[in-house]
Amino acid sequence: MAAVRLSWSGLIMKETYETKVEQLKQIIEKIEDGTTGLDESMKLYEQGAVLVKQCELMLTEAELKITTLSRDA
Amino acid sequence: MDWFNRPEIIVVTGKVPLRVSELSVIIEGLLDSPLLQDILVRGEVTNYTHHARGHRYFSLSEKGGGNTSAIIKCVMWRSDAERLSFNPTEGMEIIATGTVRAYAPHGSYQLQVKEMRKAGLGEKFLLVEQWKSELLAQGCFSLERKRMLPLYPARIGVVTSETGAVIHDIRTVVARRYPLEIVISPTAVQGEDAHREIACAITRLAGKVDVVIVARGGGSFEDLFPFNHPDVVRAIVACPVPVISAIGHEVDVTLSDLAADLRAATPSAAAELIVPDRMVLIARLKELQSLMSAALQGRVAGAWEEIAEMRDRLRPQRFRRKLEERAHNIVDLSDRLERAFSNRIGREKLILAEMKTALDSRNPRAVLARGYCVAEKGGAIVRRTAAIEQGDSIKIRFYDGSSQVIVERVDHERDL
Repeated sequence: MAAVRLSWSGLIMKETYETKVEQLKQIIEKIEDGTTGLDESMKLYEQGAVLVKQCELMLTEAELKITTLSRDA
Repeated sequence: MDWFNRPEIIVVTGKVPLRVSELSVIIEGLLDSPLLQDILVRGEVTNYTHHARGHRYFSLSEKGGGNTSAIIKCVMWRSDAERLSFNPTEGMEIIATGTVRAYAPHGSYQLQVKEMRKAGLGEKFLLVEQWKSELLAQGCFSLERKRMLPLYPARIGVVTSETGAVIHDIRTVVARRYPLEIVISPTAVQGEDAHREIACAITRLAGKVDVVIVARGGGSFEDLFPFNHPDVVRAIVACPVPVISAIGHEVDVTLSDLAADLRAATPSAAAELIVPDRMVLIARLKELQSLMSAALQGRVAGAWEEIAEMRDRLRPQRFRRKLEERAHNIVDLSDRLERAFSNRIGREKLILAEMKTALDSRNPRAVLARGYCVAEKGGAIVRRTAAIEQGDSIKIRFYDGSSQVIVERVDHERDL
């Protein structure tokens, strides 16, 4: 996968990481479900692998960002 | 001494003289009065000495002239003195908690002090108690309004001093466990106006973060006092996102701690409570990945089973049997078809023969064979004499041929 440089904003973590992990769980459930076709299962697995990679990147490439609010607001 | 006068003294007073120790016991007994147990005494510290063994000896005196002035000797044993949060000095106004006891060896009574607070502080303690009951009545500390911390916070707001170890500790923990955005809302954490600043710093974070840490390092009761202020407590309660408090040491509980959604022992602990550990998250991710692989392998194994079953169903013997069955069916059908066909043909032949007989019986040639003739004029059969006239050329058809004749005369026998 092309190196997705995540400009680390916590927002990405909150809205994307959480949903990605959620999607991953759904994919697993679908594959486990016998009614999903084999072809479909393979496609789902590929999608899942991409999601895992993205999540790992998010966690490992995360950088701390510090903002200080002005006192007179 | 007049030995013999002694009984007279007894007679005069009617009492036996007490020994000093006996008197001391009586005085001690009197001083056991509940009025003198666990009492609060306010006064000015004088003659303060810090004994080498750790005990503190001093007097509490009351300012004021004339007969309002009074003094009481005090002692604070080492075990109690060790808990003092300040060093009493000469002239300091304090509130002491203790019990009055007689000290027989010195023939004196003294206040044995258990606790001591600066007099100003004493008032602050009372104020905190008052605020506590007011805020409690307003539901600021109710458990029902405690919120769950977000699972994956994006931004953490930190209300604390810009300098100091607190922010450093939080940064360190967050950077290690789960790097994200820390929004510092700086504030003074002690001093006259600190409570207003802290409340503002909390309010300022609204809408900018997912969770707020209100933190301060350890300090005296007075240092932590702003965190008891209703302004701060109300700002915590009004905060739209969960608030976690880490104020002072674990033993110091401020009203802010009571109002917060969660209380942490230290700022580092607060950070640990808020952010998940990315190592744990990565491990969880790996787990999901292997679960997914297992699921796919399971699915593939299922597909193999399906194929095996189908192959079984497609076995040649089965197939041949099926074919034979079909072939037999076809022979059967063609037999039936043939039978049906020949039956039909026979019937049709019969019908045809009947029809032929009927037709033969109506063959005009048969009539001609018997010697009859048929007259035709212009291709039409002549059935009546009226159809011909003298001189007409008509054709007479015989059994074996025909002749063209001219009509000589026409006799109408009957007028039909």
